[in-house]
Amino acid sequence: MSRRVVITGLGVISSVGKSPDEFFASLMAGRSGIRRLQAPFADKLDIRIAANVPDYNPADYFSKVKLSGIERVSQFALIAGAQAVADAGLEIAEEEQTRAGVTLGTGLGGATTLEEGYEQVFLRGDPRIKPLSVLLSMNNAAASHLSLTYKLQGANVTYSTACASSAIAIGEAYRQIKHGYADVMLAGGSEALLTFGAMKAWEALRTLATEDPNDPGASCKPFSKDRNGLVLGEGAAVLVLEDAERAVARGAKIYAELVGYDCSSDASHITKPDSAGQTRAMRSALRDAGLQPADIGYINAHGTATQAGDIEETRAIKAVFGEHAKVPVSSTKSMHGHVMGATGAVEFMAAVLALHHQAIPPTINLHQPDPECDLDYVPNQGRRDVPLDAVMSNSFAFGGTNAVLIARKFA
Amino acid sequence: MSTLQTIQRMIAEQFELKPEDLVPEATLESLGLDSLSVIEFMFNIEDEFKIKLSNELLENIKTLQDVVDIIEKQVAEQHGKAE
Repeated sequence: MSRRVVITGLGVISSVGKSPDEFFASLMAGRSGIRRLQAPFADKLDIRIAANVPDYNPADYFSKVKLSGIERVSQFALIAGAQAVADAGLEIAEEEQTRAGVTLGTGLGGATTLEEGYEQVFLRGDPRIKPLSVLLSMNNAAASHLSLTYKLQGANVTYSTACASSAIAIGEAYRQIKHGYADVMLAGGSEALLTFGAMKAWEALRTLATEDPNDPGASCKPFSKDRNGLVLGEGAAVLVLEDAERAVARGAKIYAELVGYDCSSDASHITKPDSAGQTRAMRSALRDAGLQPADIGYINAHGTATQAGDIEETRAIKAVFGEHAKVPVSSTKSMHGHVMGATGAVEFMAAVLALHHQAIPPTINLHQPDPECDLDYVPNQGRRDVPLDAVMSNSFAFGGTNAVLIARKFA
Repeated sequence: MSTLQTIQRMIAEQFELKPEDLVPEATLESLGLDSLSVIEFMFNIEDEFKIKLSNELLENIKTLQDVVDIIEKQVAEQHGKAE
């Protein structure tokens, strides 16, 4: 069985926007969500910059009773999910509930809860920690709250493949519908790891960008010679994926068709990216989509702004698209940061919105060309009125997992 | 403040309920407290009254009055011992 899968709803909460419209407007305007983190522990960090969700007050979204059982990472997922469901005008009849599911990606799950608990038992010697700590911190909590809220009785699966988690979640949701296991899926990712311990752990790995002395917002510089690492972000993005026939029958607004997905593993190094594995994933997703490289009008790159990563991705894109490829490639991480387990969903959403608006968001802070990164990275200035028929989103993870998603105009 | 008044205040605050619904014979279930809510509530009671509530004790709690009785018994036993 092979059915067509379309995207009918979008939702996002991020450092650059709390709705898809605000999110994409920020990206097109080149607005950075990276800033100096204001947190009680911030003065103990060597690197204080992060792409946090600004002015976030959970009480704006949830009752006090509800909040005691839903931690930050699940809150983000529920907020993005509610937007996506409303945007899609989605109603799931009781008899359809078993044909509806959810797949999410997350890296660290309920990091805040876990850290608070550790602080209590290890540092303060408290005999007890929050009674719901297990339920708040488990990695599948966010997806489960979406399942509970919308009565999704089909698959409820959480993927944790580091930076590729939510690209995998979306791809696997696509397969659920494509192969007839489900008719509707909520798919995406959520991450809320701007905690003291998690940020210290990332500092220790020496992959974080240092703060730009003139402008903290300009600290993440993908594909620029002076790039020196990634900036941690938080947030969530959720999409409604739907069997195309169902969506058409109910007269749904259709953003795009999800036409291609595949994943691969480098199996070469735990962190060092490998263009061979990335190339395989891109080729395989193109094959799944039945498209040629020339059909792709925009690539939302993984583009973390590490020295090695950006060069390796450039090599992989050249291997697939040709040594002198003209395809525009941008890294929106320069603005929304690296949202880890949610980043694949956030970036795929950026690509889908690019297709929808026929507009390509830029890579900001790209001021020093690198001879080893010589593609068209849409430097600093977004482009409007670009005829796009199909777009690609790359997600390459620690651990070696590569995931590639391709969306195309629905016709 | 009596034990009952204290737990009425705590429940009203924690679960955003109307104080007038919190009569002693009201069951926790009728107030909408599921098993997880009860666990959270008992956690706060342990804090408020500086007592420890064993799992066995919790099994017999149905109404607010049951909660009051258990608290008062445990306060007497556990604080009596300490002093």
